[in-house]
Amino acid sequence: MNDINKHIKKLISIRREKHHPLVHHIHKKYNISRKTLFYIKEYGPHSHVVKTIMKESLKILFLASIISSLGGFALEFIKPLFVSFIPLVIMLPALNNMIGAYGAIISSRFTTLLHEGKVGKKLFKNAELKNIFCQVMIISIITTIFSLLISFLMSYLGKGLDFNIALKIVIISLIDVMFLICLIFIISIFAGVYYYKNNEDPNNFLIPITTSIADFGNMGILAVLIIIFL
Amino acid sequence: MIFDKNFKDILASSMISTSGGLFAGIILAIYADKIFLIPGILVLLPGFLEMRGNISGTLSARISSGLFIHVIKPNHIKTKIIKGNVIAALFLALIISFSLGLFAFAFNYYIFGIFTTKIILLPLIAGVIANLIEVPLALFTTLYLFKKGHDPNNIMGPFVSATGDITSIIALLLALVIV
Repeated sequence: MNDINKHIKKLISIRREKHHPLVHHIHKKYNISRKTLFYIKEYGPHSHVVKTIMKESLKILFLASIISSLGGFALEFIKPLFVSFIPLVIMLPALNNMIGAYGAIISSRFTTLLHEGKVGKKLFKNAELKNIFCQVMIISIITTIFSLLISFLMSYLGKGLDFNIALKIVIISLIDVMFLICLIFIISIFAGVYYYKNNEDPNNFLIPITTSIADFGNMGILAVLIIIFL
Repeated sequence: MIFDKNFKDILASSMISTSGGLFAGIILAIYADKIFLIPGILVLLPGFLEMRGNISGTLSARISSGLFIHVIKPNHIKTKIIKGNVIAALFLALIISFSLGLFAFAFNYYIFGIFTTKIILLPLIAGVIANLIEVPLALFTTLYLFKKGHDPNNIMGPFVSATGDITSIIALLLALVIV
């Protein structure tokens, strides 16, 4: 017991950002899970929880928020036009949520395939990869149609709805979502393989990359499509 | 097999977060004449909405990890780790809200030549209001779900993004009234 306490104390005193072989040693010797040991090392009695979280999260949160806001630049330039189409205003937060979530799903599932060694040389002929793409694409179309129906209903109950405008909004939303799913999918595959070949965990890079692209791309592409169609 | 368990899981979580987004969008549309009058609001809005999910989502994930490895007990909330997590989440929200405000202010000033400090105060006040609701909500829902035998990791993501959007828009409206 004294032995394990000694090891745990030593683990706590290690600088957080350092990966230390002691984690592996304690895990093997005492069969304590790596997750528990990681938690003890990160948030143990001698660490400052607030400082630790702030230090690790601030940069990535700041970056993610700024990238998301950059997408708003494009829409800000066409604000009067954008605001005049109420269904698009209603759909904006939902579209951002939706595409960001699909980015995270595609990235994490592709990374799992990589770790399981199920991805061969012929990437785009991989059956499981095709399955992920089809699932996400079908679900994105279903949720977009659901969002369109709700937004049209609310607009109709409010200020009324023009059929031609509604049709254009359907086209804009579907092109936006489908284009971004394809883009995120391609980026996830190439970036995922790149990081994996460099012996890095793609999980740590792909999700922030794809969710930021989703937010930034969604608003940028929406702005372009609004200018083209409306 | 396309229509497997994964398909159902993704569809269900997607529907939850989309519904939250739509609800927030409806509030946005109702008060469009007030919210969209502010210059630079579309620069501020996506980052502001994103922030809520990011901060409360990671808070929930950290608490979940702690619960699973028994470092956090669901019935003992006055512990150092939980207090630290809550304080950190609130501080992060304050800093990011302020930064977003500065970013939107710079955009207004350099691109449109508009000088308005309202755009800095707005996310700051709204960030405080939204997080005073969202952070305890995320914490207690995570603890509640765990106590009921659910894995909070599977539920909290869509839950936080859905409730986060709604509280953010309501907080923005309240901040508009205050400013």
